[in-house]
Amino acid sequence: MTDTRQFGDLATQLIAESRRSTLTDTLLKYNDNLVRSIIREQRDLEKMTENSQNVTPAMLIYQTTIVRNKRCLLAYHKHRMDRLRDMYWTAGGALPHILSNQDIRSKLSPHEVDFLRQYSTSVMDYRAGFTNELDITASITHPPKDLHVLVHVIRDCGIIQTELGTIDFQKGQRFMVRRADIEHLIVQGYLEEV
Amino acid sequence: MVFLPPPHLASASRPAYAEAYANILVAHRRSPLTSASSVIILVAPDVDALCAAKILAELLKQDDVMHRIIPVSGLADLERMKDELVTYAELHTLILLNMGAILDLSSENWFGEFSMKLTVHIIDSNRPQNLANMFSGGENGERFIVWDDGEAENMGEERKAWEALTYEPEPDSDEDSELDDQDEVRSNEDDGPDDDEEFSERGPSGKRRSLGDGDRSQEKRRKLDDQSTRLSREQRDTYHELIAKYYGSGSWYGQSASATMYILATVLERVDCDFLWLAILGLTFQYTTARISRDTYDKYHSIYYDEVFRLNPLPPDVAANTTDAITAMSPDDLSVRAAEELRFMLFRHWTLYDAMYHSSYVAGKLGIWKERGRKRLTGLLAKMGFSIPQTQQPYAHMDLDLKHQLRAKLDSIAPEYGLVELTYPSFARCFGYRASPLSAADAVEAVGALLDVAGGIRMEVEVEGARHGGEWFGGGRLWEGGRNGEEKREKRIEVGSRQKDGDDDADTDVNGEERKERTWWVKNFWAAYDALSDIVPLRDALSLAMSLHRAIIRQGTSIIDKQDIRTMRSHRVVVLSQGPDLALFAHPGVLARLGLWLVDALRDRLPGTKIGGLKGRGKKSLPFVVACLNERTQTYVVVGIMGALDFGDVRRNEFGLAFIEAKQRCNARSRHSTFDASVLEIEQEDLKLFLETLCEVGEGY
Repeated sequence: MTDTRQFGDLATQLIAESRRSTLTDTLLKYNDNLVRSIIREQRDLEKMTENSQNVTPAMLIYQTTIVRNKRCLLAYHKHRMDRLRDMYWTAGGALPHILSNQDIRSKLSPHEVDFLRQYSTSVMDYRAGFTNELDITASITHPPKDLHVLVHVIRDCGIIQTELGTIDFQKGQRFMVRRADIEHLIVQGYLEEV
Repeated sequence: MVFLPPPHLASASRPAYAEAYANILVAHRRSPLTSASSVIILVAPDVDALCAAKILAELLKQDDVMHRIIPVSGLADLERMKDELVTYAELHTLILLNMGAILDLSSENWFGEFSMKLTVHIIDSNRPQNLANMFSGGENGERFIVWDDGEAENMGEERKAWEALTYEPEPDSDEDSELDDQDEVRSNEDDGPDDDEEFSERGPSGKRRSLGDGDRSQEKRRKLDDQSTRLSREQRDTYHELIAKYYGSGSWYGQSASATMYILATVLERVDCDFLWLAILGLTFQYTTARISRDTYDKYHSIYYDEVFRLNPLPPDVAANTTDAITAMSPDDLSVRAAEELRFMLFRHWTLYDAMYHSSYVAGKLGIWKERGRKRLTGLLAKMGFSIPQTQQPYAHMDLDLKHQLRAKLDSIAPEYGLVELTYPSFARCFGYRASPLSAADAVEAVGALLDVAGGIRMEVEVEGARHGGEWFGGGRLWEGGRNGEEKREKRIEVGSRQKDGDDDADTDVNGEERKERTWWVKNFWAAYDALSDIVPLRDALSLAMSLHRAIIRQGTSIIDKQDIRTMRSHRVVVLSQGPDLALFAHPGVLARLGLWLVDALRDRLPGTKIGGLKGRGKKSLPFVVACLNERTQTYVVVGIMGALDFGDVRRNEFGLAFIEAKQRCNARSRHSTFDASVLEIEQEDLKLFLETLCEVGEGY
């Protein structure tokens, strides 16, 4: 059974996947197979255009397809990069937290992991310059109204050291603590603001 | 351990609530580096403690004190918590709400071994309190502070007795070094059995000196010392009796914890409507669960009445006590108003017929469990001019003029049926346009229902309008208690918790069942805590309270119908071992409500039995013991209730002591799972023996 397809069909599938990811607001697994088959298609097309010197309509079609494939690949990767970047910022720049989460880790390709790492390094370098005036990785969606915040423990996070002493967070209890100390725990989902 | 007099009795030399609170703040601010977990509040699971905790947490939050709130379900839980707390080096304030008054907290079992800088505040409405808590002094004693409501002023006799017995334990004084073991042993043998076993916390029996002369010289010395420096035997006996009487007369309740917190807020001049409402809820809870008498309720009610008018002035053209007075004036109107409350259960949210049917007072007077009684009820309603369709309408849809006339008609016609005390003064709170004004009793019912059954049991609640085959032909829907929090968390990013029911997954280990139950109880606690300040879950909880009441009525009427009440010599016993709602009644809170309903319903029909006090001073009352089988754990939950013969009166609950003694006599395997000694969980096989022993114990009174 031959696998007859149009040119650029695979690329459209890739775009459909990106679209699905946007609509369901989730990060899907990096579709390595599809990307590889598109690249293979590109190579085949390139081979076909290499030989002749004349500009025939067939050549034009190959050229268009090649350009389209390239554009789709770029769009897919950019889309994923944007999602990863958003995820990074929502997590407050806690890269180890993202990477240690098996759920997410399994969806990334090695290159994407590298991208995240380097991005994180850049942000950290940038942030280090003025961290005593402003912490850019802190949340800005809800400006804090109060110095202290009442939190409810959702998941056990054990004993946390803060600059005001140690706090032992246990499930089913409520604490009133300084916001700055536990902001990162709220973002990571261990605590919930009441 | 000292007791704090309330502010109106305070003076410069006797610090009161405000100073104690100021000390907490000072201790917190003085050690900034260790302040993160330095104040811990332990809360017992009842409505009063919840209200008090809320007031206190708000006060602390306004003062920027970092604190921690931990719910504790019973003595076992408290012990476990104490073992954990020992490891916290930074802890300097511990506040116990509605727990711990009866325990001797300075002994090694409890908090005696904690560091010296720890202060323990005990705000408890349970009485009797451990006299050691109240009166012992010294450096160890100063750490434990009991917030008293003025009752301690009247305990001068007990104080004298306790001090005499503690500080002059044996016929020898401390300076006399040539004491003898035998002497002490002899006097200790006499003293030992006098006290109740549970309350024998007299530390001085440990003061043993091992020096001893021969017998002859002691005899001589004793004769010499016999004169004036020691207490005479008779005096010691009188003191012992006094103290035994204090502990042995049963348990009763003092000022509610939320009232204490409200007084604190008043002294600090920081009251507002929310605090007032919470204090009112605490008081109403005590009254509707028959913990305080009508007189006490009136006393506190008058205080709150003045407060309401101080904080919520009505506009001049609206007179108080009309139905207009409790409608919301504006969307942001959150004020508290005074209103007369009818004794019908949740009547503003039910149909009128249902409210009267489910109220225990009406049930008792009319005999609702029989068909004849129900006819009388419809007859009463008809006489008042309410047509049957009208009484089947939810209250909110009833005709306006009927609503206005309701009070007047009831006052005129109800006495014919014996329903005399139908109203009592109470309060209602407006919630703007989000809900109709909610009365204090209804709010207490809703919060109590959440606390008991918000999760862990399948409860069916009725959808309004679904009766008699309503729109969707469905009778009801399943109550979904704490699910709201779950949805909020799911909207979170993937990085965060993607564990929808991950909590439950973590609980399926060896102690799976027990941990699940504890988790549910804690969730209920927080659901109830949140509902205190948010009207939406509170309103939803009303339907839960209604279905809870329906279950209680079902069970209660079937008990009375089947004549399931066994009369023992001194009390009555009901044992539930089957039925549709068995799992529901395995909760001590629900079982206690059933008991109260039975007491109210049967008040006029059963003769009271004379329960003599220690000296035979008998007051007639209606003691009830209700037991329910918990199929899952194969144990029986037993609750003892002491009902009074007159409506609005209360009796001291002697079942706590009776249970303990019976338990020891028959060696039953049992445990007290809550802070109330009159609630017991006992193995299935031991129940029969236990009940029989209880009868013997009862005779001893």
